[in-house]
Amino acid sequence: MLASIVLGLVAGTIYGLLAVGIVLIYKGSRVLNFAQGEIGTFSLYVTSILSTQMHAPYLVAAAGAVITAGLIGFLFELLVVRRMGGASRLTVTIATVGLLTLLISLEFMRFGPAPQPVPSPVEGVGPVIAGVYISPSQELSVVIILLLGAALTIFLRYTDFGLAVMATAQDATAVRLMGIPLSRVTAFTWTTGCAVAAVAALLISPTIGIGVAPNFMGLLFVSALAAALVGGLTSLPGAFVGGLVIGVIEGLSFQAGSVVTAVPGFKEIAIFAVILAVLLFRPQGLLGKEA
Amino acid sequence: MLTPRRTNVLLVAFLAAVLPPLTYRLMPAWFPSSFWLLLGYAAVFAAAALSLNLLMGYAGQISLGHAALLGIGAFTSGLITSKLGQSMAVGIPAAALAGGLVALLVGLPALRLKGLYLAIITLSLGYMMVNSIFRMSIFAGGSAGVEMPRRIAGDLLLNNHADYLAMSLVVLLGIWLVDSNVTRSKLGRAFAAIREDEAVAQAFGINVSRYKLMAFVLSGAIAGLAGALYGHLSFSVSADTFSFEKISLPLVIMVVVGGLGSRVGVAVAAFFFMLFPQLPVLNNLHGWDLVIGAFLLMYTVARHPGGFTEMIAEARDRRRKRALAKAAQPGQDEDIEEKGAIPKLPSLPRPSGLAERPQVAGANLLEVEDVRVAFGGLRAVDGASLEVPRGQIVGLIGPNGAGKSTLFNAISGLVRPDSGVVRFLGQEIQDLAPHARAERGIARTFQNIGLAKSLTVRQNLLLAQHIVAGYNPVQALGFTRKTARVEAELLERADQALAALDFERFAHEPLRNLSHGQQRIVEIGCALVTAPELIMLDEPSAGMSPGAAENLALRLRDLRDELGRTVLLIEHNVPLVLDVCDYIYVLNYGSVLAHGSTAMIARQPEVIGAYFGEEVVA
Repeated sequence: MLASIVLGLVAGTIYGLLAVGIVLIYKGSRVLNFAQGEIGTFSLYVTSILSTQMHAPYLVAAAGAVITAGLIGFLFELLVVRRMGGASRLTVTIATVGLLTLLISLEFMRFGPAPQPVPSPVEGVGPVIAGVYISPSQELSVVIILLLGAALTIFLRYTDFGLAVMATAQDATAVRLMGIPLSRVTAFTWTTGCAVAAVAALLISPTIGIGVAPNFMGLLFVSALAAALVGGLTSLPGAFVGGLVIGVIEGLSFQAGSVVTAVPGFKEIAIFAVILAVLLFRPQGLLGKEA
Repeated sequence: MLTPRRTNVLLVAFLAAVLPPLTYRLMPAWFPSSFWLLLGYAAVFAAAALSLNLLMGYAGQISLGHAALLGIGAFTSGLITSKLGQSMAVGIPAAALAGGLVALLVGLPALRLKGLYLAIITLSLGYMMVNSIFRMSIFAGGSAGVEMPRRIAGDLLLNNHADYLAMSLVVLLGIWLVDSNVTRSKLGRAFAAIREDEAVAQAFGINVSRYKLMAFVLSGAIAGLAGALYGHLSFSVSADTFSFEKISLPLVIMVVVGGLGSRVGVAVAAFFFMLFPQLPVLNNLHGWDLVIGAFLLMYTVARHPGGFTEMIAEARDRRRKRALAKAAQPGQDEDIEEKGAIPKLPSLPRPSGLAERPQVAGANLLEVEDVRVAFGGLRAVDGASLEVPRGQIVGLIGPNGAGKSTLFNAISGLVRPDSGVVRFLGQEIQDLAPHARAERGIARTFQNIGLAKSLTVRQNLLLAQHIVAGYNPVQALGFTRKTARVEAELLERADQALAALDFERFAHEPLRNLSHGQQRIVEIGCALVTAPELIMLDEPSAGMSPGAAENLALRLRDLRDELGRTVLLIEHNVPLVLDVCDYIYVLNYGSVLAHGSTAMIARQPEVIGAYFGEEVVA
């Protein structure tokens, strides 16, 4: 029980990170980026190519992934989202589904359905917490996410540009009047939001340990989406807390699933149930404001 | 009765049922079994794409989990035909039922809310189905999947692909007919209004959540049907058949590239995407087809949100407009702007579908008592009270931000007051949804035109009659005699209104192509077409030339004197207000600053002060 909770919290930090990326983009341009997860997958392929084919050290390969993801976000915002200016949110959201399809089909075309190897940052056996082995890569992931979270918080709270980013969701005109171009804010949210997806993908990959296959991040993206929803879709801290909540629920449901073997996929049922419950009882999320 | 439409349908059904089996048997060497199998997949995907189009193209709601709905249908029909040994005639309808039921359960929580929640929950549904339900041994035969025999009855199986295609095509035709009944009835119009703007749809008296749910359930039922067809076509299915990337995503591509909301475009796109990669010339596409599809998808949404169908329509439109511009007499279309001529408002008979309204004693049609509406800390309406006597024109004036429009919203139901009472025809209505208030006889216009801008003028006039379209959704889907009769009646009223407004030449023009003043007239026409008791006009003279505004006064008096309507009017044009109103309320900071007969209000200096935003010295 306690073990599931600890493992759930560890995974939850990663969901939280991915959810923060989703919310960042949503706050900046009111669009749910359904390609978020697949951008993470795609950048893992970059890591895989860099390390297995070009024998680059892990840090270089990982940096390649993050840069790729950020670049995809930046370009998509520049070439698609920005040009759709007056279009409805529905059409912009469909465009992100287009990006998702493009990435998945490119992956299938180049590599097929078989998983490709992705290197691990660290090897070895980690400490035992509450009766669970926490692997060094999981430890590292928690540390990196906490550092990233702190950096992002400081940036958004204490720099003018960060404050402008936060204000955009509430009043885009006011931000423009403050002399900060809105286009710079949205470029930032898309770049950062997508780069964060690559970090999340890199951090989860050693734990799953099968390498990378098309739609590798699909299910994780749904968990992160649920986390963002739990947090209220517009709250960054809410998204992170939502990630932890989803992680723990998943951990517990995984344990329950190992008991009730007649029903496979307990985890997926749990996430679906969480989304259903949020929509039914608290559509504004735990930390979101009443719409 | 054999109408031309019915004759055509029967002819197409006959061809669909006869041509494939006949061709196969006459020329098996030219059209081998594999050819018919391929066409079978295309037909099934066309059915599935039509299902998604109904939801996304008509109602503007995204589903990213259509694979799950197809899967539910397939497994349901598989269970019934293999384990229970029943015919497809049982299995396939059951599949539609199952698809509709799942859509109902999922849509119920998601579609009450405005936004992209349906996309989120259907995405999650897709993963849950594939990883859990479709792998359960009781329902789906574990990871091995289920057999899907093409059983007609007993041991009679439809194993020939050409014969099966004939059956699929007949089913596809049935879906096509239902779909076309949606678009030519109030269902399709309601979906279109919701897609355009949910607030506008509500003001038209459409129960937005219910219609969104209806679209999803209908879409789910068709998807279930398509799933069953797909399963029987492949003889067996397993969980992996219904993955996100194999079904849900390609369907989105087909619908968007084919043209959101275009039946023909979507069906053609489905056949194209299924058949094109199979062309022998392109033998080794290696997945390029999906890459191209994805690019096309992004290109279409970014450049031509209406898909290829719209690109074709746009080209045709440009030609038509050039022809129109040549034919039009100069100045004809600028009547309102230049000459200030506002057409006489239509006097229409009471629609037959209208429910009886209570005849109350007492002179007041509308009573508002101490209504309060706050947005966060801002008290937009702060204890406002007013009375609107039957048969009068009552004005509501006040500076910008005084809470006039918010009070209108509280009366028409777009915002729910925090406290206070709104009484209409003697009954408290403050807790009713906007559509219920519209049914009771409150019609309104909006400051920035509350019409569906991409629909034509005539469609807007039909939409405005939503609440008097007295047939139910099932009758709409079947397009029964009653539906046909009511629709004919609605059309007649719309055309009467168009004729009265002298707007016949704009009948098929999208509303956004009209000038602001013209749109305003259409909006008032829409408000009148359901014979409401109370008409609430929010700044009708905004955007009109001074000449037109003067004419507007004439028309407003007609409303009262000739049509016997009661009017509540928000207006910034003070001369107009003083000219037409019987009684005036002055609103400031959300409460009534003064009220009285027009003559009395005109004499009060603090009213003028509030109006021009100066401090009032008491």
